[in-house]
Amino acid sequence: MIGKYEIEIYNKRVHYFLTVKRNITILQGHSATGKTELIRLVSEYEQNGASSGITVKCGASCTVLTSVDWESRLSRLGKHIVFIDETASFLSSQRFAEMVRGSDNYFVIVTRDDLQQLPYSVDEIYGLRNVSSSSKYKSFKKVYNEMYKLQNLDSLT
Amino acid sequence: MLKIHYGALESDNYIFNPDAFFNNTYEDEWITDDLSVQMIKDIDGSEVIGPRAIDSPFLGSIPTERLSGGVKTLILMNNDNEHIFNASACGDNCAKWILAITDRLEKKGKDLTIRLGYLMDFGNDTFDIEIANLKKVVHNKKELVEAVLDNGLL
Repeated sequence: MIGKYEIEIYNKRVHYFLTVKRNITILQGHSATGKTELIRLVSEYEQNGASSGITVKCGASCTVLTSVDWESRLSRLGKHIVFIDETASFLSSQRFAEMVRGSDNYFVIVTRDDLQQLPYSVDEIYGLRNVSSSSKYKSFKKVYNEMYKLQNLDSLT
Repeated sequence: MLKIHYGALESDNYIFNPDAFFNNTYEDEWITDDLSVQMIKDIDGSEVIGPRAIDSPFLGSIPTERLSGGVKTLILMNNDNEHIFNASACGDNCAKWILAITDRLEKKGKDLTIRLGYLMDFGNDTFDIEIANLKKVVHNKKELVEAVLDNGLL
């Protein structure tokens, strides 16, 4: 897969607009900003389609990868946008990093931990924020990059 | 005292996925505890209706199992002193509550030990945090960041 993908996911209560530009996108930030809810919506839509009451608009198929049989599942996936929650214990494994490097999928990974073995760009680390007064619509907000760390250190001196 | 293990942790009492652990172990009185009610209001913006029902401004009425992973982890820290919880499930907005829980436990003569995989921001005030990997106590953000990064813990 190459290029940019716009993803819109919503039900009656929450609405997400996401843009993924590279093969690995990291989602992090404060607790209770809707990261796990996003994964839950993708998973429910994957299991039940339109009958879930969830709408997913995306130029590629979206799927959720969990710890269950992850290696076998990932080896069979191609040209998907793969969502992974921080509860997936394989995220820090070398085997996962190897499979990501040889994959033509895009990955959206919820984690605060530094995944040193994965070749992701610091420019592709995002958080989620509310973008409407009703707090109903959410979109990516870039919250972390390499300069952020340096600024943190500078502010201490 | 708050004790933090940074990076990978192998221990029989370590809970990597506090979200799932909470769902299968929480007790009703943990939810209606005053501190839990305050944390749920502050982190999730939600009101505790009862031990098994939460009113979320975004999701409507939800079961307790759909609280955020961050607040679930905080509630576990406050009520289960036998395990070490993965505090990477908590964002920076949980930091003040981790310090508050530590104060509460200290009054009972207990420490709080957690694991972190990132540099949580504990604010600009002074504190006493032991970096468990190093057995070293740090007292402010600068000391904490330098100790963690200089020793390659993350």
